[in-house]
Order: sequence, then structure tokens, then C-alpha cells
Amino acid sequence: MAAVRAPVDRHLPDVDWPAARGFWEGCRAGELRLPRCADCGRWVWYPAPACPGCGGERHPWRRVSGRGRIFTWVRVHRAFLPGHAARVPYVTALIELEEDPRLRLAAFLRDVPPDGPRIGLAVEVVFERIDERITLPAFRCVTGR
Amino acid sequence: MGRARRAAIVGIGETPYARRSPQPLAALCLAAARAALADAGLLPRAVDGIIAPGAGYEELHELARTLGVTGQFFSAASFSGATAVVAAPLLAALAIEAGLASVVLCVRGLAWGSERRGNVGETHAEMANKASFEIPFGWYPQIVHFAGMARRHMALYGTTEAQLGTVAVTMRRHAALAQNAVLGDRPLTLADYLASPYLAEPYRAADCCVVTDGAGAFVVTSAERARDCRQVPVAVLGVGTGVSEDGPYSSLRADYLVTPAVHAGPRAFAMAGLAPADVDFVALYDNFTAQVLIQLEDLGFCARGEGGPFVESGAIALGGALPVNPSGGQLAQAFVLMMNGVCESVRQLRGAAGRGQVEGAEVGLVGGYSGAEYAVLLLGRGLG
Repeated sequence: MAAVRAPVDRHLPDVDWPAARGFWEGCRAGELRLPRCADCGRWVWYPAPACPGCGGERHPWRRVSGRGRIFTWVRVHRAFLPGHAARVPYVTALIELEEDPRLRLAAFLRDVPPDGPRIGLAVEVVFERIDERITLPAFRCVTGR
Repeated sequence: MGRARRAAIVGIGETPYARRSPQPLAALCLAAARAALADAGLLPRAVDGIIAPGAGYEELHELARTLGVTGQFFSAASFSGATAVVAAPLLAALAIEAGLASVVLCVRGLAWGSERRGNVGETHAEMANKASFEIPFGWYPQIVHFAGMARRHMALYGTTEAQLGTVAVTMRRHAALAQNAVLGDRPLTLADYLASPYLAEPYRAADCCVVTDGAGAFVVTSAERARDCRQVPVAVLGVGTGVSEDGPYSSLRADYLVTPAVHAGPRAFAMAGLAPADVDFVALYDNFTAQVLIQLEDLGFCARGEGGPFVESGAIALGGALPVNPSGGQLAQAFVLMMNGVCESVRQLRGAAGRGQVEGAEVGLVGGYSGAEYAVLLLGRGLG
């Protein structure tokens, strides 16, 4: 269980939460990695103690392509957490990864086209290093794919 | 329950709703409970069951002992948030039918106005997966979650900002006709709405429910006993509940623009032996404007994707085909997890809703949504 933290620092993840450690290790290594059931192959997202498909309990972290499409997006004009103030206004989106429509990631959008984001637009992962412990994935809009 | 109309709501009570109340939450709950019992013409000692969603051991038993409840006692907790409030008549009716209680008091207050100023996302922030995979990416708080749905509804179905604004404007109009609505004196035109700034595009402040202090309560008893109470009984016709397969994570929902109302609605209608066309008005969980469109679709009042044109037609206004939230709902009356929706629905079915009365109201539907869960309550005038 991630510790419940004060709102002031809540905009950053607890990279020591055991259930998510593989995700943050992947980000530090410049890879997007997600847990996949070793028994049935289903992506177990968000992390869970057992696979909702088959009940399997081994979910090794597997690299995914980092390519996907915008499922939906929101342009946020107010910092709801102090830690996001420097980003305002920002575009946050749900990204549907190409590996499986069940795989959605919330992410900040980069390189938004001048006419704005739109659902279905192709995106690819980039990484934003916050400090030596925390690297966050983000997605940049890709035109022409 | 069902067509037999074996349980009924015989009393309702609400505190004044306010942005901030000088009274603590426990005092608000007690005041609402006393008002509901007085409305029913029952003495507090007649209560032998309490359903108090959100209350812990201390709050429940402070309330019980202050009211003077003693002896045989039933209590139960189920579901969360507004789902718990809207499903409470089901639990109460089951307890009454089983002989476990005869008069069940249901009470719920919320003081987010005082307690959570600027921090309404607390419940979500405490969930480890959201803290890890959503909050660090700005997918927080609720306004962002639900704006994402609004955006996709607009992209898939052509829903417009003016249609979302129509919901907000209609709720303000309803609030102006109600006795106890925090935005009752704050009229809003569609032009005002469209000119106001975005908070989390496509949502503006007027797309969001109010944050208030207040409490409400209602009293459930058997049909037999209800005949002797002082108010027109309002029968519990049917209750249905449902859950989403993606649990508390709306961001992962396979059917992203569907609430578990699609499971709860048919069950409630089947129990009542009714269909959507039989419903005279609804009280829906209007946490944000597009969620009203989605629930209207989920419950069968219009086709999938047709929520926008449905509201634009005027259907959801008082005098329209299906008035929604005649006291202003959570967008304009109070955010008290649909306790206001249940109380207003009872008033409507008594014919006691004053300037906001839905003419000839015989059947009302209340929807309670809490993310993963949804409850549908069908209420009817009289005992048939």
C-alpha cells in the first residue's frame, strides 16, 4: 500500500510501492513495462494480486512498444495539486496502447498539434526524468501514423 | 416489495443546505433524523433500525442513543457513496419483511463544504493504483475523470457544449423553484455558461456539482404501518444494484461511457413491474453535466449517444417529458450523495413539491452512482 501523503507532494508516485516497482524500474531504464500474466498472457492492469482472467499470480513486467492512440483527453486549466502548478495549462490523456485495448495509461501529452489533441491521434512514449529515483512516462503526439 | 408495495417511505427530513454550516456533521444528521421522524409522526423510540451510510460505530451509536433508540435493533451497511443512500430502502425493506425491524431510519449527511475545501479528491488519492498511475499524470481529481468521459461522448456522439450547458442551466432553474437549494438565487443562462472559463476542458465550474454541508433522512416502514402514518405513503416499488467489471478505475472501463446503471435499471424495473415509459420524473447522480446524459441513456430514457439531443429538446426541465432533479440536484441544490434526491422524490410523489411540482407524479426513479456501483430506486405514490 502506498503511504497516504500530504497533498503537497502527492503529485509524485511512491516508487517503492512493491506492486508497481517494476513499472518505475522500467521508466528509469527508458522502457515502458507492464505486468502480464505468465499463465494466460493477459495484461494485468492495473497491477492486481491475481489475474482477473485466470487467477494466475505470476505477472512479470514485459516491455511494450510505447505506441498507442489518444482514447480521451482533458485540458486542465487549474492546478488541483500544488505540484502540478508549473504545468498549467496541461493536457492529460488516457492512452490506449497498441498491444491491447484494455491497456490504458494516463499521461501528460507533448507536442500537441496546433489544432489541439483529438481522439484517435497516434502517440508514442517519451520519458521525463524528475530526479534520480523518479522518471515519468509521457506521450508525444505523432502525425502521419 | 415490488407490485405488492410492502414497504414505504413515510417520513423525510433535511437540514438547510449551505456552502458551510456552523453545525458539525453529527448535529446535522441528528437534526435531519428528528425532522424525518416528526414528518412521519413517529416517536424516536419507535425506531428499531438505523441505516447510516458513512457513519462509523461512534457516529451511529451517538445518533441512536441521542434519539433514545433501545432494545431490539437492526443496522446494516452496504455499498458506498450515493449508491448506499439509494439502496438503503432495499435493505430497510428486507429487514422489515424478515421481521428484523419495523421502523428503519436512514440518514446521511455530508460536510465536504467545511471538511474538504479544495480537496474533494481525497478518496481517490488514497487509492494506491490511482496514486501511482493517475495522479502523477494529472488524471485527478473527479472533474478530470469525468471531463474525460464528456470529451469522448462529444467526439463519439456529437454531443455539444451547449447540450452540457442545458443541463447546468436547467438545474439552476429548478433550484430557483425549490425551498432549500444553495444556488437557488444564482440564475444561469446558456450564454453565461458558454462565456465562463474552462476548469478542465470541456468542463467549467457550472458543469460541477456544488460542495455543501447538510444532511437528510427518511423513514421506512411496512405498508401496513404506513397506512396509519400522517403522510401520503410513498411505496418502495423496486430497487436494483449493479457493479462495473473494472472496479473503481473509470479510466480502464471497457464500456467507458456506460455506468453500472445498465445492470441496476433492468433489475429495478423488473421488481416493480414497470418500464422507463412509466416514470414521471427522475433524480439522477448529477456530479457533472455529461453524467446526466450518460445515465439517461443507461436507464433507457433515450438511445445510446442521444443524451445530448434529449436534454436539448427540453425533456429534462419541469414541464418536459421527463423532469430531471426537480429540486436542482447536486449541480444546484446540494451535494449530499442523493439524500436530497430521495427526499425530493418523496415530496413529488406526495404532491407537496410546491412550485417545482411535477403534475400528476405517480412514479419516480432515483439513481445513485459511486463509480463502481449504481443503485436504482423506483418509488410510487400511495400503496396501490
